[in-house]
Amino acid sequence: MSRTTDSTFTRRGFLQTAAAALASPLTLYPEPRTLNPVSGKAESCIFIWLGGGASHVDTFDPKGRGDGKKTPGCYYETIDTAVPGIRVSEHLALTAKVMDRCILLRTITHGINEEHAAAANLMHTGRRPSETIVYPSLGSIITHELGPRTPEVPPYVVMGYPNGMRDPGFLGPKYGYVYLTQLDTGPNGLVRAPDVDSARQKRRESLLGSLRDEYVQRNPRDPVIAGQAAVSAQGFRIAGPRFLNVFDLTRESSTRRQSYGGEFGQRCLAARRIVQAGARFVEVSFNLNFLNGTGWDTHNDGQLKQHLLIRDLDQALAALILDLERNRLLDKTLVVVATEFGRPPEFDSGGGRGHQSAAFSCLLAGGGLRTGRAVGVTDELSRKAVERPVTVPDFHATIHAALGIDPSKNLFAGARPVPITDYGRPISEILR
Amino acid sequence: MRAVRLAVLVGFVLTSGSLAAINGKPQTSARVLVELLENIPAGKELSAESSLRTEAYNEPAFAFVRTPTKYSPHALALDRSTPFVLRASLTRTLPPGEYDFRLRARNAAWLLIDGKVVAATDPQKPNKESHDPMPEPALVDILGIRPLHYPHQQKVARFSIDEKPHTYELVAVIGGKGLTPFPGELSVSYGKPGQIPRLLGGNSAPLLTDAAWESYSEKSFRSHVHGDIVRRRNLSRDVAAAWNERHQLVRAWMKERSPQDLTKSSAPGDTVVDRLLAVKQKAAGIVANPVISDLAFLRRVSLDTIGMIPTADEVRAYLADPPNQRRYRAIERLLNHPGWADHWVSYWQDVLAENPGILKPDLNNTGPFRWWLHQSFRDDIPLDRMVTELIEMEGSAVQGAPAAFAQATLNDSPMAAKATIISQAFLGQNMACARCHDAPNHPFSQKDLYSLAAMLSGKPIGIPETSTVKLVDGFRTPNIKISLKAGEKIEPAWPFVDLVKPSEPLRTASLSPNALPEIPLFGYEAPTTTRVATRRQLAALVVSPENERFAQVMVNRVWKRYMGRGLVEPADDWSSAKSEHPELLQYLSRELLRGGYSLKHLARLILHSRAYRRKPVIDDKAAAQFAGPTRRRMTAEQLVDSLHRGVGKQLGSEDLNLSPVGDRPLEQFLNLGTPCRAWEFTAISNERDRPSLALPMAQSIVDVLTTFGWRQSRQNPVTVREDQPSPMQTLILANGIMGTRITRLSDDSAFTELCLQERPLPEIVRETFLRILSRQPNEKESKLIQDHLRPAFGNRRIPGAAKGTGKLRPDPRVSWANHFSPESTHIRMQEERRLRTGDEPTKRLTKAFRERFEDVLWSLVNSPEFVVVP
Repeated sequence: MSRTTDSTFTRRGFLQTAAAALASPLTLYPEPRTLNPVSGKAESCIFIWLGGGASHVDTFDPKGRGDGKKTPGCYYETIDTAVPGIRVSEHLALTAKVMDRCILLRTITHGINEEHAAAANLMHTGRRPSETIVYPSLGSIITHELGPRTPEVPPYVVMGYPNGMRDPGFLGPKYGYVYLTQLDTGPNGLVRAPDVDSARQKRRESLLGSLRDEYVQRNPRDPVIAGQAAVSAQGFRIAGPRFLNVFDLTRESSTRRQSYGGEFGQRCLAARRIVQAGARFVEVSFNLNFLNGTGWDTHNDGQLKQHLLIRDLDQALAALILDLERNRLLDKTLVVVATEFGRPPEFDSGGGRGHQSAAFSCLLAGGGLRTGRAVGVTDELSRKAVERPVTVPDFHATIHAALGIDPSKNLFAGARPVPITDYGRPISEILR
Repeated sequence: MRAVRLAVLVGFVLTSGSLAAINGKPQTSARVLVELLENIPAGKELSAESSLRTEAYNEPAFAFVRTPTKYSPHALALDRSTPFVLRASLTRTLPPGEYDFRLRARNAAWLLIDGKVVAATDPQKPNKESHDPMPEPALVDILGIRPLHYPHQQKVARFSIDEKPHTYELVAVIGGKGLTPFPGELSVSYGKPGQIPRLLGGNSAPLLTDAAWESYSEKSFRSHVHGDIVRRRNLSRDVAAAWNERHQLVRAWMKERSPQDLTKSSAPGDTVVDRLLAVKQKAAGIVANPVISDLAFLRRVSLDTIGMIPTADEVRAYLADPPNQRRYRAIERLLNHPGWADHWVSYWQDVLAENPGILKPDLNNTGPFRWWLHQSFRDDIPLDRMVTELIEMEGSAVQGAPAAFAQATLNDSPMAAKATIISQAFLGQNMACARCHDAPNHPFSQKDLYSLAAMLSGKPIGIPETSTVKLVDGFRTPNIKISLKAGEKIEPAWPFVDLVKPSEPLRTASLSPNALPEIPLFGYEAPTTTRVATRRQLAALVVSPENERFAQVMVNRVWKRYMGRGLVEPADDWSSAKSEHPELLQYLSRELLRGGYSLKHLARLILHSRAYRRKPVIDDKAAAQFAGPTRRRMTAEQLVDSLHRGVGKQLGSEDLNLSPVGDRPLEQFLNLGTPCRAWEFTAISNERDRPSLALPMAQSIVDVLTTFGWRQSRQNPVTVREDQPSPMQTLILANGIMGTRITRLSDDSAFTELCLQERPLPEIVRETFLRILSRQPNEKESKLIQDHLRPAFGNRRIPGAAKGTGKLRPDPRVSWANHFSPESTHIRMQEERRLRTGDEPTKRLTKAFRERFEDVLWSLVNSPEFVVVP
C-alpha cells in the first residue's frame, strides 16, 4: 500500500550511476507513431471488478433458455433495454433502462481458462506475467499518465484486498493505491486510531515536532535526514478532512443511499464520492461471495442464487450511472465493469457453470463515449466471437483512449521501453 | 482403502506387542520415545521390515506440535513419505486408580495401553470443494481444559491402573494424500475424572490448559529448531569435509598463482581496507569522515548484522566492555547472533526472487526456499557450496530446500527465468533483455541465455512463442535484433567464456571448472528430484576460483550492503561497469577465497575497518571514495523488526497458511508458519478478493512492509529496492494498525512493565530513549518528555489490577474448506474491525498516564531519527 507523493527527495538521487543516462532510451527507441489520435476527455475511471468470472450468458449476453441441466443457455428470462436490439437478463432491469449510457463489449477474449488469479492479473495488467519486469496495473498506469487531480486525495483507491494484480509494478510504489476492505473502517493508515482524537493528535504532533527539529538541527545539510523530516511533516496534512469525509456516506440523502442498494451499492456510492473529491482511478470489488455461496464463480449450486448478485450489481450500476449524470460527472467519468472470464452456456453436473475465456462480456458507461450500443457478436450460445473479437490489450487501449492516454506510448522500466498496452488498438467506433 | 490400511496398522502394532520388539527393552525413563515410520504400505501387513524407521528421538510428553525436519546428507530438507506414522511410547508407573485417558488428534490415531487399543480417532478426510459448513466454536470447558480445536477429535478412555509399570503407546498417522504432513495438536493426557488432565510424560509434564499448552508448544518449537540444527550438522559432516578439502586446494592454488600478501597493515587501527581506500582518497583530495560515537556504532552495526536495533541490555553490556574492545566484541557477538541469518535472508529473497504463493501457486511463484537460505546463513555454509546447492535445485519443493527455487508457475520457460536470476545474482550478468531477443545494451544474445537455461534443464530447450518479439502490422518495428525463431532448440552450453573457459585445461587440474563434479560431494541421490548433470557443471563453472567474477560479485554485494554503495555499480549488472577500486575488490575477493568462502570472514574485514565506523557521507564525491558509508534508512524489515524488539512485542501474526485445518495438500496451500521476523511474510494472495481469505493481522504488517519498499510478490530479481521516503510511510506508522499496536501499553508491552517499576521519572525517560533510539536523551529532550509525563506520573499505578494477556487470536476454524460460508466471511470481517481498536490496554496503569506515555512512544518511533541508520 502506498500512495502518490510529489516528494522530490530522492535518497539515491545523487548516487545514481551514469549507466542510466548512458543508455538514453529515446535514441534507441523512437516514439512509435500514434495509431489513432487520442481524443478521450474522461478524467476519472470507476472500475467495477466482478471477481470470480461473471457469467455473461446470464447477464449481458444472454442466448437461448437453459434449464440448469442438459439444455444450455441463459438461466433466466431476457428483457429489452433502452437500446433497441440489445437484450439482457431479466435481473438487469434497472441497468436495461440506462443502456443508452452504456456500451456492451460482448466479445472480450483471452485464453486463460483455469486460473482465476492468472486471468484476473491479465485483466488488470493487460499482460501475462514475466520474471524480467513486473507490469503495472491499469490503475497505476492511469495514475502515472494523468497524475493526481488534487494533492489532498489519493489518485488511486481500491475497495477490495491489496494484491499483486493491482500493484504499480515497474512504475514504482509512488503509483500504488490506498485500499480499504470495509467502508466503516476506512483505509489503514489514513484514519487515526479510534482513541486518538484531534486534541491528542495535536499533543502528539507537538512532541514529535520538537524531537524532529532537535534531530534536524543536530544533522545539518544531510539530504536524507531533511527528506525524512519533510515527509514526516507532510504526511499529516494528507489524512485531512477532504479525503476522510468521502467515506462518510451519511452526508448523502437517505434516498440516494437507498437507491444504490446493499453493501456493494454503498461502495459504488463511495466511489462516486471519491471521484468527485478528485481521485483518478477507483476500483470497487464485488466480493460478497456469501450472497450465493460462491460469488461470481458460479460452479454447482452457486448458480441457484446467482440472481441475487446480478440484482445487486444491477441496482448499484444503474444508480451509479444516474447519480454521476445528475452530478454532471458521467461524461468525465468512465465506468468499467470487468471480470476475469465468463461462463459457458452449458451447466456442470451440479447445475452451475465452468469457466469460458474464449468470449465474455465487459461493460463501459459514460466517459464521453458513443454509448448505446453493443460491440461484437457471439455465436448462438455465446461461446465464441463471430464478429469483432476484442482482445484484452484492445480493451485496455479503449479505456486509455477514453481517458486521453495514447495506448501505444512507451513507458520505461529502467532503460527498457514498454508500450502502455501490448499492441492494443482502441475500439475506434465508440470513441468520439 | 484408507480404512483397510489403518486396520492393518493396528494389527501390526498389536502383533508386534510393544516397542520392545524393535528396541530390545522397554523404555522406562520419563522421556517419551518417539519414532517416525515412513513408506507405510497400503493394504499390506505392516512390519518393521516393510516400513522404514527414519527417526528416533525423545519428547518430554505426549504432545506433538512438530516433528523433526527430514534432511538429506547435504542437509537439504526433504519431504517424508505421506502419510508417515508417529509412534510414541513410555513405560511408567502411576498412582493406582481410575483415570481418563484423553487422545486428541486430527487424523487417525490409536492409544494403546500394554499393547491393547483403548482409544482411536478416525482418519481425516481431504477437502475437495471449498463449501464445508462452519463448525461450531470450540466449547469452553468449565475446568479450564484447553478447548478442542476444529478439526481435532477427542476420544476419552477410562482405565484402572494398578501400581505396576505400564506401557503407553501412541500410533498416529500424519498427513496422507491431500493432507498436510503436520501433527496439529496431537496429544495424550490423563487425569482423574473431573480434574484437569496432565499430558502423559513425567510427573512434571504440563497440564492440558491453554497457558500450559502454549508455553509447552513454544518450548517444543524452539527445541525442534535447535535439534534440526544439530541433526543437519551431523548428517552433513562428510559434505562439509569435502568442501573444506576443496578450500584447502583453493588456498594452495592461490599461493602458487600469486604469492602477494596484503594482509600486513601499516598504521595501527587501520586495516588493509583502510589502507587501500586512503591511497585513493588522497589522490582524489577527499578527507575521510570522523568515526561515529560508540552508541551510534552499536545501533548501526546491529541493524547491519542482525537487522534490528540493540536492546537496552545489549547497550549496557556493550558499555560495560572496555572502550578499546567494545566495537570488536560487539561485532563478534552480533556475527554469532541467530539474527545474522534473518538479516541475510531478506536480501537474498530479493536477489533470487523468492516468491512463494500461499494460495494455489500461480504468477511466477516459487516454492519457499527461504528456509534453506536461513539455514545456510545460520550454519555459516560457505558461499561456493551455497550457490552450488541452489543451482542443483534438490530437496523438498514445499518445505524449504533449493528445489523450491526451480519452480516458476505459469512461466513459459522456468529454466530461462532461473538462468537470468543466477547469472545476475552471482556473475553480475544482466540477461533480462535476452529473454525475448538479443540484448541491445548488453553483450548477450538470446541464444546465450537459452544455452544457460538448457544447462539447468539438462537437455536442449525450445524458445517459447511468448518469449519472442512479434511484429504487428501498423505498429513500430522494434530496434532490437532477433536472431532466434520460436520453437528453435538450443543446446546446453556455457555462454560466459570470457569469464572462464570450460574447455581449456587449467594449471591446477583438480580445480579446473570441470573438476568439481569429480570431488565426491554428491554421494547420494535425492529421492524427490532427478539429478541433472549439466546443473553440476554449471555450478562448477560459476564457483570455480578461475572464474574471478564470482568472488568479486559476492564481495561487492556484501560491501554495498554495509557501505551503501558498491565498489562496482550497478551491483547486479557488470557488463559496462568499471570499478574505481580494483585493488580493494581484488583484495577482498582473495580474502573470500582464502577464508574458505566464508561470508562471516568477509563481513569481519569490512565491519572491523575504520571505513565502516565513519560518519555517513552526504555528497557523491565523498561517497565514491568511501569517506564513510552512504547515509541509509532502515529497510522495511529492519523497521518492523526493530519496532517490535524495541517495545518487546511479538509480531502477533496469524499462521501464513490459508488451510490451517490441514485438509489440503501443501502444494496448494503452503504453510509458511507463524512469522517471528519480518522476512517471513509473503503476499497474502487474496486475488480472489474474498474477506474469508484475509489474514488481518498479517495484512496490517504487510501494509507497513510494502509502504516501506518491501515487495510482497517478488516476480523478478531485485538488488536495490525503490526506497524513496513518502508521506504514506509517515501515515501508515502514525495511524496504522501496526503502529497503534507498537505504541499501545498493553500487558504484553515491555514498556508497561517499565512504567510499573518503582523508578524516578528521569530514569524511565532515559531507559525509554535507550530502548527506542539506543542513546540517552539530551537535557532538552529529557525535559520535554518529563514535562509531558509528570502530570500523571505520581499515581500512575493501579494496585491490584489484573494482568491481561494482551493478545488477539484469530478464530482457528476459518479455513479454505469453509471459506465460502457466510460465517467465515463474518468472522474475518469482525477480526479486521477488532484490530482497528488495537491491543487491549493494560488495566494496571491509569488511562491518563497510559495515554501520555503512549504519546511519548508514538513521537519517538515516528521521529525521523528512528528510521535513519546512524
